[in-house]
Amino acid sequence: MTDVYVIGIGMTQFGKHPDRTAAGLGAEAVRGAIHDAEIDPRAIRTAYAGHVFQPMVTGQQVLGQVGLAGIPLANVENACSSGATAIRGSFLDILAGEADVSLAFGTEHLTGAFKGAFTPGEDDPEAAVGATMPAVYAMRARRYMEEFDLTREQLARISVKNKRNAALNPLAHFKKDITIDDVLMAKPIAEPFGLLDCSPVSDGAAAVLLASGDWVQRHGDPSRAIRLAASALRTGKVETAPGSMTFEELTRDTADDAYERAGIGPADIDFAEVHDCFTIAEVLRIEGLGLWEQGTYPAAVERGEADIGGRLPVNPSGGLLGKGHPLAATGVAQVVELVKQLRGEAGSRQIEGASVGIAHCRGGKTVGVEGAACTVQILTR
Amino acid sequence: MTTQTPVSFRPHDLVVADDGTGYLRGSRCPSCGAHYFPTREVCAGCLTEDLETIPLPTRGTLYTYTVVHRSTPAFEVPYVLGYVDLPGPVRVLGQIDAEPDQVTIGMDVQLEIVPWGTDAEGTPLLGYRFAPGGHA
Repeated sequence: MTDVYVIGIGMTQFGKHPDRTAAGLGAEAVRGAIHDAEIDPRAIRTAYAGHVFQPMVTGQQVLGQVGLAGIPLANVENACSSGATAIRGSFLDILAGEADVSLAFGTEHLTGAFKGAFTPGEDDPEAAVGATMPAVYAMRARRYMEEFDLTREQLARISVKNKRNAALNPLAHFKKDITIDDVLMAKPIAEPFGLLDCSPVSDGAAAVLLASGDWVQRHGDPSRAIRLAASALRTGKVETAPGSMTFEELTRDTADDAYERAGIGPADIDFAEVHDCFTIAEVLRIEGLGLWEQGTYPAAVERGEADIGGRLPVNPSGGLLGKGHPLAATGVAQVVELVKQLRGEAGSRQIEGASVGIAHCRGGKTVGVEGAACTVQILTR
Repeated sequence: MTTQTPVSFRPHDLVVADDGTGYLRGSRCPSCGAHYFPTREVCAGCLTEDLETIPLPTRGTLYTYTVVHRSTPAFEVPYVLGYVDLPGPVRVLGQIDAEPDQVTIGMDVQLEIVPWGTDAEGTPLLGYRFAPGGHA
């Protein structure tokens, strides 16, 4: 089977861009990836565009702005996993031999589309009685506190860690260190969460160019190409009985698919970018991925094991809590960070000796299902 | 002028009788016994298509909860929101009619029918919450 490589990455500043559009942000990220790869853009054969709350055919608008209209493009919506699902489209095109170079990007102008607490769709029966996304995760946090003696301070430390990493990332939404007290004193959103336990509403875009191993050997720069060893996608199962809200079966199943495809296990992973939409989410993702045993991650964060320089750094980019969360851009931005780290181009947040990274996204909510869409990608140097 | 009869805010999910009592409507799979709320057409466990529509039990235990301080304009904050496990078993989300400091994981709760605003024509609606008390 052919190998798939990331040959180019691009990303805009994440944050608030009141004067921009999703298409404009997307075009900036795509041009960045093309320049990073140093390729003739006419080599790109197919494209996938992730976006959630944007106008229809936003992907075609982006291609038009970069002069690439004409090639096959599909717009992809999988909630917060949209961008990662777009990467999977490019990955499969290359495996299938349909393309030797493929473009995947995610773009979101979220501040123009959304304000306040994020809620599931209006027809959701749980939204009809008052569910918001922070509330759903807050209930998971409350249950985890009960089962595993998680403390409020331990939760807060996750936000402190990720915002500290974000302060080292010039493209991150947040640029300031915060303290545990800042998290505890922030205005309440859904107990135990305050505002700093929640990822912000951000605008931004990110793009990657994938190529076959054969193309890299003939036309590319093998020293900068990073192998995409797996790009797994799953849909949450309908629960036939009430399930645990403190362990993510969907994350575990998706990770198992990725580990099997890559021939890599959790013990081989050097660092992770995971979907920390809320502080508790980082705990649930990491334990679902099998990187720490259930119930043990919060104490490991307290000991500094997930810091840059720790045993297994988690969210060195700043994660969603620090870097920001422009929904569909998030999954692509995670892969951008993995590539920077694996190339040794991550600057002051560089993880020494990193050779295997994992990225995880989860998106959406449908009643009676543990989670809607989940993606896990593994990259190796 | 006639008195308007209150109607369920989601008639498919919540059935309210003239005397003001009510129950949630769910599905039960006759083959494997799985329960669902809201109702489903197909059992996700065994793919059986002839699910029975049943009244769900009205008493259960609180699996977890939160106090919501930021929500959509449709809801006045703060309110307590929780997942309740009903015999079946099946898990249902609802607001909890209690002060936050009186709420604990594992407490017994029972369904109550409560006013739930009005529809676009001004007809009063009834919704549901869970109140402390009862034994599952």
